[in-house]
Amino acid sequence: MILTKTGEDLHLLKIAFREFYFNQGNMVEEPPKIRNREFGLMGFDGVMKRHLTFSSLGGLIASLIFETPSDVFASNAQYDFPTLPISEKGWRGAELIFDIDLKDLDMKCIRSHSYARCLSCSSSYVSGSQESCPKCGSNNIAESMLPCDRCVNGLKNEVLKLHRFLTSDIGISPEMIGTYFSGNNGFHVHVQDESFNDLDSRARADLAAYILGVGISADAIGVTKDIRNDFRIRFPIGGLDHGWRKRLSDRLGISVSSQKRLSNLIKDLGGLEQFRKRVAEITRDMGVRIDSQVTTDVHRVFRLPGTLNGKSGLTKILCTDLNSFDPFDESCQLSNREVTVRVTIPKLKLRLKGERFNLNEEYVRVPMFLAVYLISKGLAHAVRLDPGTGRFIVPASTP
Amino acid sequence: MDIRLGNADLARYPFLNEAAEYMSQTYFNLDDLNLPELQHIVERASNRIRNEIIHGKPDYALERHEVEILTFLVGILIIKAINSDNLTKKHSLCEALRAEKFLVQDLKTQGELANKKLLVFKVFKELLKMDVLPSLKYQLMFEVKVTDYLKRSHLFHEQEWKLINRLVHDGRVFLDPDETVRLIRSELANLLFERIRQMNPSHIPTTIREHANILRSILPVAPRRLDNAPSAFPPCINHALDQMAAGENLPHSARVMLATYMLAIGKNIEEIVSLFENAPDYNERISRYQVEHLAGERGSHVRYLVPSCAKLRNDGLCFATSQCEGLINPVQFGRAAKSYSKKASVG
Repeated sequence: MILTKTGEDLHLLKIAFREFYFNQGNMVEEPPKIRNREFGLMGFDGVMKRHLTFSSLGGLIASLIFETPSDVFASNAQYDFPTLPISEKGWRGAELIFDIDLKDLDMKCIRSHSYARCLSCSSSYVSGSQESCPKCGSNNIAESMLPCDRCVNGLKNEVLKLHRFLTSDIGISPEMIGTYFSGNNGFHVHVQDESFNDLDSRARADLAAYILGVGISADAIGVTKDIRNDFRIRFPIGGLDHGWRKRLSDRLGISVSSQKRLSNLIKDLGGLEQFRKRVAEITRDMGVRIDSQVTTDVHRVFRLPGTLNGKSGLTKILCTDLNSFDPFDESCQLSNREVTVRVTIPKLKLRLKGERFNLNEEYVRVPMFLAVYLISKGLAHAVRLDPGTGRFIVPASTP
Repeated sequence: MDIRLGNADLARYPFLNEAAEYMSQTYFNLDDLNLPELQHIVERASNRIRNEIIHGKPDYALERHEVEILTFLVGILIIKAINSDNLTKKHSLCEALRAEKFLVQDLKTQGELANKKLLVFKVFKELLKMDVLPSLKYQLMFEVKVTDYLKRSHLFHEQEWKLINRLVHDGRVFLDPDETVRLIRSELANLLFERIRQMNPSHIPTTIREHANILRSILPVAPRRLDNAPSAFPPCINHALDQMAAGENLPHSARVMLATYMLAIGKNIEEIVSLFENAPDYNERISRYQVEHLAGERGSHVRYLVPSCAKLRNDGLCFATSQCEGLINPVQFGRAAKSYSKKASVG
């Protein structure tokens, strides 16, 4: 559920985002052939304006300063007429993009740093197994997550795995692969090799299945059904030297010279059907956890590199060296100027822009980048001092 | 690489531009086809089309190049004169199947004749804008770019064509000669179809018109549809029936779906076989055998079930609408619709 912002929260977020686009508009990346792209601007009210065009980067940045959207998207597709409805746009190809999101990684630590905010009574708490608010019992809950270092390393491993598939199997040169931190809980991998641009959805679905490790047949390594003996082994002409055939044979500990071993393995597993299941498990395990719907959709709009992510206030940013990349530092681009917030969760520890913070349920002065991060995640509210009384003005929506 | 085609090559690939160039050099005139000495060519082309209509099979006989190029041309003129989209598709597919056989033969040639492969590479490159290279590592294997493979392989619904089931390395997919040529079959057929469709002869000679009239009389009257109203079928079946009616070449998996579904709703073998009459490669004997096999009357005597919705989705044969919600097999569609209409009438 998208947390729409109101009152002081909205006011502060808009100031922070406007400042960013005013002072650091040069971070926004101009997509190739900008005139042929469809843009989408999401407001802080959660409403997306799509089918927009910009003829220059300057025009786009001016619009970002003026309108101050929470999120900025651009199509991976190029169109003849980007402003028309999808069926009339005139599709002229789309970059191949992969999305790796934390939600698909089944990280065990996620529960320990996920937070829920009750939209009925506005209380916040660490997400446990409970599906309703422990205070008021409401089911009207919004969840947010602060990824930890372990999560980031998990994501990086998947990205590196994807790189290996793209370079060694699919033959894409490493210079043609751009890896971006999404600004929240994932990475986007952009393939800049234009020979992939004219692949349609079905072709991309097949490529996505390859990378996910879905749809393998035991026939691929030469194990086929045999009416008399349950199965038969005849290794394929090309052997088991490359791609999935190599991954599978390495994991199973077989080669083209170990037919007997493979035969025993199948028998030990309980026959062909069990072996097929085992093969499918292995490929799913060894595949990359990409979101196949993202890769397959050729009319999607993607977060524009160099813009802010409305769910965190962090920037979608290019990772030149993935191993050393620290998303909590390099993508944190908002200012250090201090503002006051009321933290709504107890015992909150986090690291941002090279600083460590220990927060509690309290009114506290924090740097703008942290204030935006917490408010975007629903873990704090902006407050303002009343110049007349010297007291905090607490937003009406909070108790 | 500039590859010169010999005239014998043109006999196998008469759709290449070089064949048209050859014809223009002979000062051939369309009205020459009315001459008695060319009647055997007109007869040959006409018989070839008759065979395609009746048996759905191409003619693989190979004569000397002058005969083949002219037969190909006359065939197209007859097709233009008959002016049926379905027959044009059928003829295009048969010509593609014919070329496919020669392409495979040429790819398999070794030793002194191996330069024939270069000719095949030329066909792939110039006609289909696709690079095919002989594998340096594996004998009798060929390499195509992953992107070229993906653009074509999704037309096949069998698991073996999924990229994950292929030998893939460094941006290349490795294929044997049969697979390499199979990959482009429907593309070649579409290309030939488009060429025939766009061809605009100045006039049709009388003798061609006469043969066209005879052949028109043996064309199936209209695509057969079953008695049920189309809305009674699930959208996947309707889609397959529409494709069949349009003379499209349905993949094997779609035909299995169609036949098993019709069997499941109680249609008899005759009715189901007649459904496939409009397929470009229709062969009554083969269709009957396959439907009987699916019905459990032949081979293993196992009656095949209708593929599940999940399988159809995976094979790209699902065109679900809101009415399909909650179904796991297309056969439930009728029952669900019936129970819905019953409920609606009660309500």
